[in-house]
Amino acid sequence: MEMFKTLIIILLSSVLVDNYVLSRFLGICPFLGVSKKLDQATGMGVAVTVVMLIATAATWPIQYYVLDALGLGYLQNIVFILIIATLVQMIELLLRRFSPALHKGLGVYLPLITTNCAVLGVTINNILDGYTFIESMVSSLGCGLGFLLAMVLFSGLRSRIDESNIPAPFRGLAVTLIAASFISLAFMGFGGIVENIFA
Amino acid sequence: MKKNLKNIAVLVCICAVITVLLAATNAITAPLIEKNQNAAANEALLVVMPGAEGFETVDITAYSLPQTVTEAHKETSGRGYVVKLVTTGYGSDFVIMCGVSSDGVVTGAVCLSSNETLGKEKTYGENFKDKNADDVDAVDTLAGATKTTEAYKNAVKDALNTAVILGGGSVDIRTEEEILADNLNAALPAGEGKFQKHFFAEIVDGVDAVYTADNGAGYVCVIGDAFIGVNADGTAITADAVGADKAAAAVATIKATTLTDIDLTAYPTLANTVVSAKKTATGNFVVETKGAGYGIKGGNEYVPASGEYIIVKVSMTADGKIIDCLTVSQGETANLGDACKDEAFYGQFDGKTEADYTEIDAIAGATMTTDGYKQAIERAFAAVKVLNGGVK
Amino acid sequence: MSKNSNLSVLLNGIIKENPVLVLILGTCPTLATTGTVDGALGMGLAALAVLVCSNVFISLLRNVIPETMRIPCYIVIIAGFVTVVKMIVQAYLPDLYATLGVYLDLITVNCIILGRAEMFAGKNPVIRSALDGVGMGLGFTLSLVVMATIREVFGSGSFAGYEIPFMQEYTIAFLTKAPGGLLVYGLLIALIYVVTKGAFPKKKSFSCEGCPNASNCYTPNCAEKGVEN
Repeated sequence: MEMFKTLIIILLSSVLVDNYVLSRFLGICPFLGVSKKLDQATGMGVAVTVVMLIATAATWPIQYYVLDALGLGYLQNIVFILIIATLVQMIELLLRRFSPALHKGLGVYLPLITTNCAVLGVTINNILDGYTFIESMVSSLGCGLGFLLAMVLFSGLRSRIDESNIPAPFRGLAVTLIAASFISLAFMGFGGIVENIFA
Repeated sequence: MKKNLKNIAVLVCICAVITVLLAATNAITAPLIEKNQNAAANEALLVVMPGAEGFETVDITAYSLPQTVTEAHKETSGRGYVVKLVTTGYGSDFVIMCGVSSDGVVTGAVCLSSNETLGKEKTYGENFKDKNADDVDAVDTLAGATKTTEAYKNAVKDALNTAVILGGGSVDIRTEEEILADNLNAALPAGEGKFQKHFFAEIVDGVDAVYTADNGAGYVCVIGDAFIGVNADGTAITADAVGADKAAAAVATIKATTLTDIDLTAYPTLANTVVSAKKTATGNFVVETKGAGYGIKGGNEYVPASGEYIIVKVSMTADGKIIDCLTVSQGETANLGDACKDEAFYGQFDGKTEADYTEIDAIAGATMTTDGYKQAIERAFAAVKVLNGGVK
Repeated sequence: MSKNSNLSVLLNGIIKENPVLVLILGTCPTLATTGTVDGALGMGLAALAVLVCSNVFISLLRNVIPETMRIPCYIVIIAGFVTVVKMIVQAYLPDLYATLGVYLDLITVNCIILGRAEMFAGKNPVIRSALDGVGMGLGFTLSLVVMATIREVFGSGSFAGYEIPFMQEYTIAFLTKAPGGLLVYGLLIALIYVVTKGAFPKKKSFSCEGCPNASNCYTPNCAEKGVEN
């Protein structure tokens, strides 16, 4: 029960409070770049979630059973980024070979994810926070879902912005950032709520 | 194929070069990083032991320490110890860090986290600096925060004791209840550690308290500091002749005491105030009376009153002198009014008469409870007058 | 000043192709570490160090690294230097390490560094690559410090930790938090548009342009570039 509670808190706080995009600023490039249309935003969000989960499942055991065991903790960064890059390539190849439909929906976003700081960020953060394997997986799921949520919400907002008449200096980049700022402001309201759900 | 091999070779070579570079950097920086991390961890410890050179963590499971101790650190140059304690004050999880020098003086104490109501406890620890075990009780209390103060002082005492134990000495770390239980057990091992305090219906001179073994093996009489075991047949098992005589006499009195129920329906004026009444062969009375405390008179729309009376059991001589007093039940506010169930409070009524029973220390912060309790005692006096042949 | 002079390579990164304010690269650290001037300066200099080292190393190896394997090689080299810089910061500047935390690790995936490796160091001689690294790094640092100054002065009424008497009374606390970063960045970009009369920033909207992975990527967005625009 206690463990279940911890997991729920980790999940909710990584989706809402410590949202990777809106409060930790990880994965800003795809957030701003691929959020123009709802279907693209959803595809990217799901792809990131899947990659985060697989990457965590691969990096967590390697950190504890290979790097720490051999005293090679300083190779963490290189090893993680290589694992993520390799995994992404493999998933992409597999999807293209075995499920062209899924590849069309998700696979096209995969190469973008290799250098997505949210994926590297979540794997490193799981180690830094000292999470167990299950906690790490839940935290990755939460971060992925949080990313998806932010993408979907923001794509709705952007379609409204595109229809508006915006002063020239703000057109394009500036108004996108300012709109993101307001979504982020709204998410700040979740601060302090999750810890107190079970209090 | 050959091209692939060359590609892989290049990547492997680059990886190897980078790994060597990292290993070299790591060899240089690792000791410094470790030192930094230790320094950060020791920062909190340094606050309570200024000037310490370094700390090493003590394995507290290897010692028998007070239960409040959660961490202990030894200063590497032998200056003393820093102890982390978790205790319970007004709220739960009151975390205190306390430094103790090797000669038993507090070098500093801080509250790391607390749910206490005031916030003053954050700086209260400063008052303990440079105090030793004998001075701790004399430290000024925090106004209006008796429980916090008590928890803090006990934590500091525990820290001082811990330092003594870790330093190789021995010290009594038992709580008052544990000391009492140990004494009772030593005086009457046949009681198997389970005792009830006896409620007196007869006056027994020279004995401070009597504990009855739950299993009927006998009694333990407390006379001053002495604990004297008495067998169920009334013979004392201690060599102390004077005490043994007194104890045997006390037990004889207890065993001779018989109580007869008094039919309260014959006394309609007592119907609302008295729960039960009994009489001894020697003419003493034991009555249970109701008093209206916070449970009846208090409460508000947010925290409703419990609706329970304070029920007090009082034994009294026919001429109105209280022999013993005990709280039977109460529904007062938790942490404040429920102090009326502690013997420290109701023990004050022993030996009082109608003239001076109000001269007792009230429960701090619980006027309604104190007043309700006095009302119950007052009703006991009135009831005994009626039962002893007054107006029905 | 000829277009190819070493000086122009250096200045290019600071002004004409400022990575943050003109090319709009490295948005994540830009937003995340500009809450305080100290953090921004630390982040900027750490990235500068990694950028110069990786540029020099990659430029040295530019004839050895096979074309098809260049991205993994670049990533390994960059990740290696990031770890070196991280360890040095952790050892000698523990306070800065505590401020930057995981963002130091994430310099690995900073698009500026991979982008410069791909666009410049992989094709140019060592000296020029080093200068490009210094220029880009300084440009990055400069923009970060400018943003951090705005956020810290108005958000917490101080500059690099030193309190400013008058500003202390009127702080806009949310500027130091996450939404403030996005807002200030948006306003700065609008300001640059006004000052340069629309010539800058070069990038008009967020897309895959400038993304070092764009070449091996076929998202609808990148496809759009060719079809719709």
